Formats: sequence, structure tokens, C-alpha cells
Amino acid sequence: MISFIVRRLGWMLVTLWVVFSISFFLMRAVPGGPYSAERTLEPEIEANIKKQYRLDLPVYQQYLLKMRDMVTGNLGASMKKDFTVNRLMREGLPVSAALGLLALAIAFTVGLIAGIVSAVFRGSAGDIMLMSVATIGIALPNFVVAGFAIILFVFTLQWLPAAGWGSLGQLVLPALCLGAPYAAYVARIARTGMLDVLSQDHIRTARAKGLSPVTVVAKHALPTALLPVVSFLGPAVAGILTGSPVIEQIFAIPGLGWHFVQAAVDRDYPIAMGLVLLYTTLLYSMNLIVDLLYGVLDPRVEWE
Amino acid sequence: MSPRSALALLILVGILGGVVAIVRMGQLPPADFTFNNDTEIESLDPAVVTGQPEGRIIDELYEGLVRLGPKERKPLPGVAERWDISDDGLTYTFHLRRDAKWNNGEPVTAEDYVYSMRRFLDPLTLAEYAYQAWYLKNAKRYSRAARGVEPGDPVEVELFEPPEGALPHARGEVLRGELVKIETDAGASEEDLEDPEQFTKRRTFVVSIGDTERRFRVGEANTADGAETCNQLMLDFGEVGFRAIDDHTIETVLESPTPYWLNLLGFYPLYPVNQTCVETHGPLQWTKSENLVTNGPYQLEFRRLRDRIRLRKNPHYWNRDNVAIETIDALAVQSLTTSFNLYETGKVDWITKVAPLISRELFVADPPRNDFNPDAQFGTYFYNFNTTRKPFDDPRVRQALVMALDRREIVSTACAGELTAQSMTPPGLPDYEPPECEGTNLERAKELLAEAGYPNGTGFPKIEILYNYEQQHQTIAELIRKQWRRGLGINVATRNEEWGTYLSSVRQLNYDVARRAWIGDYLDPITFLDMFVTGGENNNTGWGDPEYDKLIADAKSEADPTARLELLTEAERMLMRELPVMPVYYYVSRSMVAPHVFGWYNNLEDRHPLWALSIDRSAKGPNDFMSSEPVREITLGTPGQREGDE
Repeated sequence: MISFIVRRLGWMLVTLWVVFSISFFLMRAVPGGPYSAERTLEPEIEANIKKQYRLDLPVYQQYLLKMRDMVTGNLGASMKKDFTVNRLMREGLPVSAALGLLALAIAFTVGLIAGIVSAVFRGSAGDIMLMSVATIGIALPNFVVAGFAIILFVFTLQWLPAAGWGSLGQLVLPALCLGAPYAAYVARIARTGMLDVLSQDHIRTARAKGLSPVTVVAKHALPTALLPVVSFLGPAVAGILTGSPVIEQIFAIPGLGWHFVQAAVDRDYPIAMGLVLLYTTLLYSMNLIVDLLYGVLDPRVEWE
Repeated sequence: MSPRSALALLILVGILGGVVAIVRMGQLPPADFTFNNDTEIESLDPAVVTGQPEGRIIDELYEGLVRLGPKERKPLPGVAERWDISDDGLTYTFHLRRDAKWNNGEPVTAEDYVYSMRRFLDPLTLAEYAYQAWYLKNAKRYSRAARGVEPGDPVEVELFEPPEGALPHARGEVLRGELVKIETDAGASEEDLEDPEQFTKRRTFVVSIGDTERRFRVGEANTADGAETCNQLMLDFGEVGFRAIDDHTIETVLESPTPYWLNLLGFYPLYPVNQTCVETHGPLQWTKSENLVTNGPYQLEFRRLRDRIRLRKNPHYWNRDNVAIETIDALAVQSLTTSFNLYETGKVDWITKVAPLISRELFVADPPRNDFNPDAQFGTYFYNFNTTRKPFDDPRVRQALVMALDRREIVSTACAGELTAQSMTPPGLPDYEPPECEGTNLERAKELLAEAGYPNGTGFPKIEILYNYEQQHQTIAELIRKQWRRGLGINVATRNEEWGTYLSSVRQLNYDVARRAWIGDYLDPITFLDMFVTGGENNNTGWGDPEYDKLIADAKSEADPTARLELLTEAERMLMRELPVMPVYYYVSRSMVAPHVFGWYNNLEDRHPLWALSIDRSAKGPNDFMSSEPVREITLGTPGQREGDE
């Protein structure tokens, strides 16, 4: 298992390097630059800006210097604003993480329960209702859900604050909206997985031995049914990460997401690069955790 | 419970615990006054920023020689308690008040202003707005560093290393002398010598310092034949018309009489920074809340990225007794809808703009809103014609296109209360009535197009409207396309680009017709008109006319205000005849201000000092915002209404 992890971490470095190189050249291929402003700059100022950000050097030198910075953990400072990328991550990452974790927790708790219930009571009115809600949930983008949720919970019922950061109440709506589509996916996957397991021989045997329905479902069926759900964890984390810019903007959450979007618009290369690499690391680690969990849940899987 | 499910439970509890802990770190007591500042600001360094959101904060943190009042934006005594102006309008002498202090308790002196002005003009500060101070004698030459000097000039040579005993981030040691000559490199081509960005790379500067002649090359990796390297070479700052006469007196000397010079001194780029603070902490660090030293009505308590900036009343401010609000929060909420939601739920007391869709509702709200009172603003939304391309090189074609435009349909369909524009300079200035271009006249437009060789649009090439992607720009571009096609029978396409790409397309004249907008920096027509001089940096139309250039140049050196405005009127009349641009509408400010906020006035600049605000929750009746007379009547047209409709 140790060698498996070490090998995977080695591949992670290769992945990071590839992502870094592609992003580096893509960013420079886009027209415009960080110093483009609506007003044209004086040539002296433009030359000094280019010098400060090394944009006056040939691209290959910029690339090598930038790579050296990345390796030494120096992510640089924003080209547009007066803070470093490290400060931005220090302030934004915990916020985004809190939002993402809560959204994931909601997605998996709600999704799992709904999926299991509708599998066990297959064909009942409850099953049809749950699965209809799930289908709608998958079809609706999170900002549409957010719009309805704000009208309902903020303006009609007046239960929750409209936006902002600093209390749990302010986090409920964004986490719910961010997690909702994934809860729907999880529900459908869990239902399919559960139905699959429930029709197998060992479950019939367990039932025949006279075990209670709860024990059969929870102890004998659930671990196997969980496998497809766990493998969905990877894509779900990816989706929640990329979905958070929209939600963070709608609910004015000071996380990383909006920085990411704005950095692309502003051609703020250091911020964009820092966040691309951070997201790559996060996604890669999540996939690694998923693979490890697989082995824990399913004794048939071996770490190769 | 099995160990496995216990572990799962433990992880779940851990996650939720972590979430709660992170949220708790973000908890805050509310501020006395909260407003939405629209975005994360770029910096708290007054010299380098150019945006309105930055201005709103910097206006409170720092104070210039004068400050501008909340209502008419007239210059009031700031750190200067009074000033004298010479008869020729060129020399201003400012007398600084003795009780002006930085928020660390130290006095604000004339030297602080001289330091800040030099820093502001220095091209290494990267101040985009440096040209706002070019009205000072020799300031432009100073800003151009090596490009601004000629043999015989007194110059300053900045070395790389700071002098001994200086603060860690101080400027390099400065040698002063006289420029003897500039040698150009032997091998350099004509083209390289012309290129302003290559200027210093191709030249050696010979300077006599004391009794010796020394040779300097500018830039680090730039040594040749025994010359010394230096960081910068520029005109001696002593030549610039900004000097301290003593600790409490400053004299400014201008290039030409500038009636709005006092207003500019109240504009944030010209505010003073604290030398010790800047040079001790250095870039990125000195503007942090734990380091920042400022001299304005408020001081920075903290700044949370993309969340908020909290300001607290400065206990050392000279006029502290007249600052009513103790703490202010400036939120960085970018979405207009979210901003409105926060306002409607009472979390915010002032939002600076409302989305057009929502403001349409606010106009017709019943009962009428007591917190919404749009008013004219000093900005114009217009289209550029690329006059270097056919068919736009023919003024008749431009006139025809302008006359085929139905502005009423645009503002009634795509906007909410904006005013149709037929001039570059928005109306509302006290002594200036902007000349207008022709209004909608389809018959005449068709005639002009026929005269230009395109009767009924036959033979007219397919043209393209460029805009940066935003819903409203798209709607307007589509409307204009429809109007031109309907009225003139010509083929029009639209193209949208993302902001950065759009900017470079416009700058490189890589378009036919492009959307643009301009908000005046100060209340004077010249901020709109001097854009269009031949080769002007923000001209971007390829248009130019020596006669126009002369009118603008004459206006700049004219001492008599009436004659000056006449020259500008003449220039704008010419611009509106030649039409390298097509004015579409004038901007309208759309703030919402809570009824308990007093001291907030609509004004043409749409700038609102926070030090003038106060809060009275028990007050009955309208506040200053609602009771002020609008500069112009703002109404919401019927959607789809066209020119000539009732």
C-alpha cells in the first residue's frame, strides 16, 4: 500500500508539471495582458510594469523562472492587486473548504438516505417522488436552485440571511444549493447500486436465515452498494470545486472561486496559475483517497 | 457500534466541527454604516489605483491639501487651511494647518506632500494616473524619466543601492548634476532609436556631477564601455513646480492656468502617503492594516479579501469632531442582484448601483420608493468608428450612421432612465452647453449615404459592431444593428469579445465600429475632448484633425475661463460634425440610500464622501438624497418606444 501511495504521488508531480506547462502557455496565448487597461499607459510605465513581472524576457526564460518559483513554493503576488497569492489562499481556502465540505456532507447524507429508501421501497409512491425530485435536481444548474431558494427562504419565509459570511446561517443556503445537484446524483447511484445488491444470492440467503430487514440492508447490502457512490466522490469534489465560483458570487462568500474567475478575466497570471495548481492537487488527492477507500470497502480490490 | 461506523461518525463530526470553527473565525460585530463597494479593491496606495471603488476607500483614509464637499464638490480646506492664487493663475501657495496629523500622532508636513508627489510622478511607482499631475510645471518631463531630459538640464541619477542608513525600501541613492550629452549606440537602427520602450537601452548619458563627468547606462543588465549603471535618470525634481517653502507652506507652479487644479488636488491620486511607512515595509506590505499609516478621517481596521474592509474613525484627525460615524464596512460584493438582496434585507445602507431590470421595477414601485432617486452623471456611452477603414473614412458615412440611430428606442428598451446623448460632454456643467450632433433623421441619412456612393445601401460593405461581453452591451449592439439595417438597408454583424481581448482589439484598431464609454475624471469638458487629438492615447478611432488639435492646445493655455470654454465649445462642435464617435446615452447614477442616512447628496461626479454622513434612525421625512433637486429629470420610457412616438 505504501508503494502504491508513493507511486501515485510521483505521478501527481508529473501531472502538476503538465498542468503547469499547459496553463503557462495557454495564458500567454490569449490576447491582452495584465497591463491592458481602458486608458493607454505611458511607455515608461508599461516598460516598468513588464520588467517588474518579467514580461520583457523571452517566454522560455519566463517559463523557467516561473517553474523555479513554483518548485520553491513562491506563488508570487497578484499583478493587479496588492496581495500575494499565498495570502489569498490562506484567507480563501478555509472558507471555500468549509462551504465545499458542508455541501459534500449534505449531498452524500441526503443522497444516500434517499437512494436507499427508494431502493428498498421500490415502485412505491415514495420511490417515484424521490426519483422525480432527483431528476429535476440533476437537470437544474445550481444558480437556478439558488434563485428559487433565495426567493423562498430569504424573502418569503425570512428564515435565512440573503448573503455574506460570518455565521452558520449564512452558510446553509449556499451549501444546500451547491450540494443539491450532487445529492440528486448520489440518490440515483445509491438506488441503482442497492437494487443491484438486493437481488443477489447472499442477500436472499441472509433473508432466508431470518435476519431483520434493517440488518440485511445495513450490514449485508450497504457496503457493496456504497462502492459506486464512493467512486462518485471524485467527480463530485471536482464539480463542487468548479461550481463554487457561481455560488460564491451569488451568496457573496469570500472563498477562492471568484478569485479564479476574476483572475482569468484580468489576465492575472500568478493568481490563475496558483489556483489551477491548487485545484489540480485537490482533485488528484481526492481521487487517491477514493482509490484507497475502494480497497477498504471491497476486499476483492487490491492496490496495484 | 462497529469500529468502522464509529470511524465514519468521527470523520463526519470532525468535518462539521471544522466547518463551525472556520465560520466562527469570520464572525464580526456589525459596523455602524455598511455599503457595498462593488468589488475587491486593487490597492490602498493612492498613487497606483484608478477605480471608483478604490477611490471610495482612499477618500476616507487619506486627505489631500483640499477636500471636496459632498454636495457641489467644491474645494474645501483640507490639510491646507487656506491658499493664495497668483494673478496669472499659475502659482498657488498653500498654508497647511498645524493640527493635521497622521494616525500615529505625528504631524503632516509640507515635506510629506513633496515626497508623495515625487513618488507619484516617478515612473517606477507605476502610477497610471500620473498624468493627473502633469499640469504642474515640468511634471510630464519628470514622469518620462530619461525621455524627458535634454543636454543642459539639471538631472537626478538614481543608483540601485539606497544610501547608507536609509530605510530598507527607500529609493536608491540619488546623484544630482547636469546632463552634458546623450550618446546613441553606434549599431542601433533608426527604428530602435525611435521606440520609446527601447529608449534607454540604446543610449549612454553623460552627466557632470561636481567637477567630474560620469557616464551612465540605465537598467541593470546594461553595461557597456566603462559606463556606470543606474536605476533611473530623470529631470531633477527641483525643476518640477511642487515644492515646500517651509514645514507648513507648499507652492505649486502650473504649466498653464488650470481652472480645475484645486479640484484635482482633492482627487485621490494626489493624496499624501507616509514616507516612513512606505519605506519601512515596502511593496504589498505597507498597505496592510497592521502597517498602514494615513492622515484621513478614517483609519483601516482590517481588510478581508473579497469580503470587506472595515474603517474606524481616526482619533488623530484634525476635524474628528465633525465625523459622525464610528465604524464603516465596505463590502466587496460583485453581483448586482446579491447587492440588492443585501440592501433589501437591511444588511447594507447604501448600494452604488442597481441592475437595469430591478431599477425598472423601482421606478414604478407603489408606494413610491423613499430610497431611490436616480440623477445625471458625468459619463457617456458611445460608439467609435474606425476611420482608418473604408467606408468609415468618409464623414458622410459616419453622419449617415449617426442619423440612422434611434437613441430613444435604445434607452427605452435596454436601459432604465439613461438620457439620450448627442454630445460627448454630458450636460450639467455650470458654464458649458455642449454642442450637439444631428438627431435621428432617416431621410437625410439616406441622402448622405447615396452621396457617399451607396444609394439605398447598395455596395455598402458588411460591417461589424464590436462590444465586450455583457448583457446590456449585447442588447444595445443588436438594436443598433437592427436600426441600421432597417433604416439604411446595410448589412451589419455583431462580434463580442471578452474584456481583455476587446481592449486590445480596440487599441489596435482591429474593428469597424466599437462600443466604448468614458466617465469624466473631473468636472470639465476637456476630460472628454482631449481624448480625440491626433494620435491621442485614448483616441482609438484613427481620426485626427490639426484644427481640432490646435483648438484643444489653445484651450489648455488660455487663462480666461470664458474664452477657454468657447474654444472647447468650438472643438466639440467640430467633433460632433466630423463624428469619429457616435454618442448613445449619458450615464445616470442609480444609488439606493437608506432613509436613515443623512449627508448623502446626488452629484454629477457620483462621488460621495463618507466623512460627511450621519445616521438618524428616528428622523421623519426625506433625507438629503431624496430631497435634493435632480440635475436633470430622469424618467423611464415605455419599452420599445421610438423617436417621434408619443
